[in-house]
Amino acid sequence: MNDDLAIEVKELRKSFGSLQAVRGISFQAAKGEILSLLGPNGAGKSTTISMLAGLIAPDGGQASIMGHSITSQPHQARACVGVVPQDIALYPDLSARENLSFWGKMYGLRGAMLKSRVEEVLQVIGLTERQHDRVGAFSGGMKRRVNIGAALLHTPAVIIMDEPTVGIDPQSRRYILDNVKELMRQGMTVLYTTHYMEEAAELSDHIAIMDQGQIIAYGTHDELIRLVGEQTRLDLGLSVEAEGILPAWQEVEGVFQATASDGIATVLVDDSNRVLPRLFESAGKAGVRINSVDIHEPNLESVFLHLTGKALRDD
Amino acid sequence: MKILDIALNDFTRSVRSLFAIGMMVVAPLVITGLIYVAFSGAGSENSDLPIIQVGIVNLDQVPADVPVALGKTLADMYFDESVAGYIQPKIYPGEASVRSAINNQEIQAAVIIPAGMTAALMANQSVPPVRILQDPTLTIGPMVVKNMAQSLLDGIYGGSIAVQVHRQRFAVHGIAENSINLQSIIHDYEGWFTAFQRELFHSPQAALVLVTPQSAGEEAPSADPMAGILGQIMTGQMIFFAFFTGAYSMQSILKEQEEGTLARLFTTPTPRLTILGGKFLAVVFTVCGQGLVLLLVGRLLFKVQWGTPTSVLLTMLGQVASATGLGVLLISFVKHERQAGPVIGGGLTALGMLGGLFTVGMQMPEAFTRLANFIPQGWVLHAWRLSLNGAPSAEVFTTCLILVGMGATMFAIGGLRFNRRFA
Ligand SMILES: Nc1ncnc2c1ncn2[C@@H]1O[C@H](COP(=O)(O)OP(=O)(O)O)[C@@H](O)[C@H]1O
Ligand SMILES: [Mg+2]
Repeated sequence: MNDDLAIEVKELRKSFGSLQAVRGISFQAAKGEILSLLGPNGAGKSTTISMLAGLIAPDGGQASIMGHSITSQPHQARACVGVVPQDIALYPDLSARENLSFWGKMYGLRGAMLKSRVEEVLQVIGLTERQHDRVGAFSGGMKRRVNIGAALLHTPAVIIMDEPTVGIDPQSRRYILDNVKELMRQGMTVLYTTHYMEEAAELSDHIAIMDQGQIIAYGTHDELIRLVGEQTRLDLGLSVEAEGILPAWQEVEGVFQATASDGIATVLVDDSNRVLPRLFESAGKAGVRINSVDIHEPNLESVFLHLTGKALRDD
Repeated sequence: MKILDIALNDFTRSVRSLFAIGMMVVAPLVITGLIYVAFSGAGSENSDLPIIQVGIVNLDQVPADVPVALGKTLADMYFDESVAGYIQPKIYPGEASVRSAINNQEIQAAVIIPAGMTAALMANQSVPPVRILQDPTLTIGPMVVKNMAQSLLDGIYGGSIAVQVHRQRFAVHGIAENSINLQSIIHDYEGWFTAFQRELFHSPQAALVLVTPQSAGEEAPSADPMAGILGQIMTGQMIFFAFFTGAYSMQSILKEQEEGTLARLFTTPTPRLTILGGKFLAVVFTVCGQGLVLLLVGRLLFKVQWGTPTSVLLTMLGQVASATGLGVLLISFVKHERQAGPVIGGGLTALGMLGGLFTVGMQMPEAFTRLANFIPQGWVLHAWRLSLNGAPSAEVFTTCLILVGMGATMFAIGGLRFNRRFA
């Protein structure tokens, strides 16, 4: 066992009936880093986290948190982790302060310690002013902040967040992302799941890209980008159905791949400056007009597209 | 203690829920209070007493030569001017017509006087029973009507015994029996008894006081007869809502499951048994709290004499144990919160009915009364009756023991089912 690892996952598996939700994944998070699990809906992120949190038993494989096995030492493992569930899990009829206080007690805090931690966390999530209001009356973003706060009270070594920014306003999202970075600065290890590649890119030391129950790529942001080489993605709006022109474009020098849907051709190229004029020339010869051009320098989205042939987000 | 924290958290949430407070405490008090206001004659003397509409079917045909007509005497009682303030009688030709009148809510109760009643009594044979039909949603009006009939019949049977005693005396002394002296005896007796009835039924409360406690214990000497009746009515209400409270507060575990807080609890370093234990303890707290509030308010507002401290304590213990046990058991069969409503509402209403909670103070068929022995609510009601009637603590203790046993069994089954579901 490696003392520098906060989270260690080996060959973890989980099926629901015939559906293999998690198919033997392995990854590690070093102490003090932010690791993102990036993947589309249904990839198996929440299932993985439920196993780490001790909510569901794995079918196979092992995992440990701060050196405590989740199967043989679940109590110790749980004591050093704070879990932020994907859906808000709070008591709507209690105030923010009462919620935090209750969850603090469940993590074993008492008395003066509990009181001071509740006050600190209220500060961190920016709800000191509203602490006596019912959580049920809060906006989505404020609820999300309390939802996170409840996992921070016992200053856990590891914090696991499952899509904490889904469906909230940009301001609350900013607040949360800044909080996460602040937590890391304080030395916490963060396991963060998301299907927003911008969040993974901004926050993470390492990113594990997950799809269909498997980790299909792992590395730092730059390492992952390099997987797609120097590819740039061009989205070209066409005057006619795009399929006709694709075979010609596949032949153009500097084009790796050309696909199309809904009158938009997506072309992966090595250098847009060199290739674009050739695409225009080829289109002109075929009598196809190009109405619009979008140039996307490589990002995690293109990595995912490159690896799976599909877009990361369905929305 | 995390188990206490969890229990107190649940308890706080129940107490804060307007619906919960309404159903646990306000509803039983309001129902009892309404009955109180209706019958206590608060305000002017008779004006706000409810009028009871009674249908009367007299099938007792008497040959012209027989001097007495029992059916007519019974029917006339409801037409007597002494009860005109609260009884509005109407004659119906037969059972079918009087039943439809009840169904159409034209009347609240009906008295059906059987054919051959006078003849049977005169021939010293067993008398076919007088039947009381009632609107099933009502209790008080029909109870008054029934008690009036009961009391008159008691008097008549007493009279019939008196007549027989006279006949035997005449026979012993060799006096020839003739219809003239028999008639004069009956006439004297009737005169006295009618006066007695008039005195008796000056108000519906008076008729209600006749309710005989069904327990073996002796009737508690109660200064205020109204308090005795309210005690019984309130007992029924309190028990019904205590069981409701048990099931309702156990239901919070389903709510927590759906809100995700239960899963979140499982991610904290808290053993699952502690979490479940906390939930169960919360039910105990809530049922205790509800019972105590009702006992106190019943005492202060309705002057109910619940019994000696020991009896009350024992009975409360039985009530809390069985209401908690049944709540845990019932909810262990429910998967989603939305199913809980029908299970709690339907199940508890049915059990309450079978346990006799809604027929407090009424004479029910024996089979029905026996059925209550299989129902926890029936035993709690029995325990409170003993306590209200000042029965010895030992007797209350036995009932309490049965209730705790029932509660523990139900709790064990329900608890095991929950443990299997969540662990
Ligand atoms: N309790 C469950 N029962 C059956 N199927 C489930 C259950 N939980 C998740 N799944 C399925 O497992 C797959 C992975 O789900 P999940 O881990 O929630 O994905 P993600 O969090 O990445 O969106 C999905 O196809 C989902 O429908
Ligand atoms: Mg998820």
